[in-house]
Amino acid sequence: MNDIVIEARNLTKYFHKTLALDHLNLKVPRGCIYGLLGRNGAGKTTAIKLMLGLLRPTTGTATVLGCDCQNLTPQIRRRIGYVTEGHRLYRWMKIGELAKFQRAFFPGFWDDKLFNDMLDYFELSKKQKIKTLSNGQRAQVSLAVTLSPNPELLIMDDPTLGLDAAIRRQFLEGMIQLIGRQGRTILFSSHILSDVERVADRIAVIDRGVLRADCKLEEFRAAVRKVRFSFAGAVPGEIDMPGLLHQRRNEKELELTLIGTTEEQIDLWAESAGATYHKDIDMNLEDQFIEFTAPDAEKKLFQWEEK
Amino acid sequence: MALWIQISPGSSEPIYAQIVAQVGRAIATGQVSAGDKLPAVRTLAGELVINPNTVARAYSILEQQRLVNTKTGSGTYVADPKLRHADAVRLNILTERMDNIITQALNIGLSEHDIKRTFEDRLKKFGTKPDGGKRKK
Repeated sequence: MNDIVIEARNLTKYFHKTLALDHLNLKVPRGCIYGLLGRNGAGKTTAIKLMLGLLRPTTGTATVLGCDCQNLTPQIRRRIGYVTEGHRLYRWMKIGELAKFQRAFFPGFWDDKLFNDMLDYFELSKKQKIKTLSNGQRAQVSLAVTLSPNPELLIMDDPTLGLDAAIRRQFLEGMIQLIGRQGRTILFSSHILSDVERVADRIAVIDRGVLRADCKLEEFRAAVRKVRFSFAGAVPGEIDMPGLLHQRRNEKELELTLIGTTEEQIDLWAESAGATYHKDIDMNLEDQFIEFTAPDAEKKLFQWEEK
Repeated sequence: MALWIQISPGSSEPIYAQIVAQVGRAIATGQVSAGDKLPAVRTLAGELVINPNTVARAYSILEQQRLVNTKTGSGTYVADPKLRHADAVRLNILTERMDNIITQALNIGLSEHDIKRTFEDRLKKFGTKPDGGKRKK
């Protein structure tokens, strides 16, 4: 069995003269939940559409489940679940009709009981028409329809955008249930970092079309930090510290945002710069993401262990 | 057994560390005792709606700390306290932390007597006995 479910190699996309994705190299290992992060317009949706063969790359290639993404066969597509941004469904269908329609694309994969259980859980009925549903209910139907074929690979493009906390939680529950089954893989994009923190094993950060981080979530959590240094005398002008992302200063203190800098490097620098005292400032994932993708930041973070 | 784990994503403390701290505290305060079974990784992940690997990582850290044992195919159990021992490294970390606390206590103006009394008050909350033996139930 192939242990890499998605692999992108130098995947590049121009829309006319605008570079949307710049030489994306990415590997998604089997069995993980992979969070795709990036600010609006960073290139996340473009990356997802390229991987699914819904867009043609300008240059570069990608394989999904071992198959070139531009030639995905129906047999391969059957093993993939895809939730589009905004949960676009056929508005004129009833929920039951949509289920029948979808089921036909997944012969031998579709789990009717799972679909019905999810509808019951969401308090929806097969007789309801899609166009009469609220945004949240439409998202629930989209989740049920996508999970019922029991996909080997689930790809969700910002699935919880605009949903209330309870429905967002149902999406996360669905993800945790799916990943509990053997050999399943999930790739999703999101702006809600506390959700990403709950469920993701690995994250990729795309920033203005460029992949800037691809690592375990905990690695990112440990690598991005902010340290405040106090000085008795003048605060040094030039800062020569490995991993420096940016700095903030006043007359007596210096606040450095660092990435991948070791404890020893910090202690060493503090001593040589004559800092009297230094301490870590608490950061949550959102703080770290904002600092990491700040307009002047360019440093990268990659961690990949081959098994 | 009463073990309620509550996590808060979006905090500066990683989720696995929150689980380690809470289970550690439940063991220290006697909320759970030797031989008690911890929830299965999948079960706890489902309940907390977090990645199962995060729970597994927390359990493996607790195992490194010798607070729990994992029996293959059966589950994770609170370890026998007799098997715990303070090695030099861990004792060092602990004394360093105590020094920090003592520094803070002195700097906010507590006397030696105040510090000792506060420390004893806190210890009572954990239900320990002076001889270091079994805690009261």
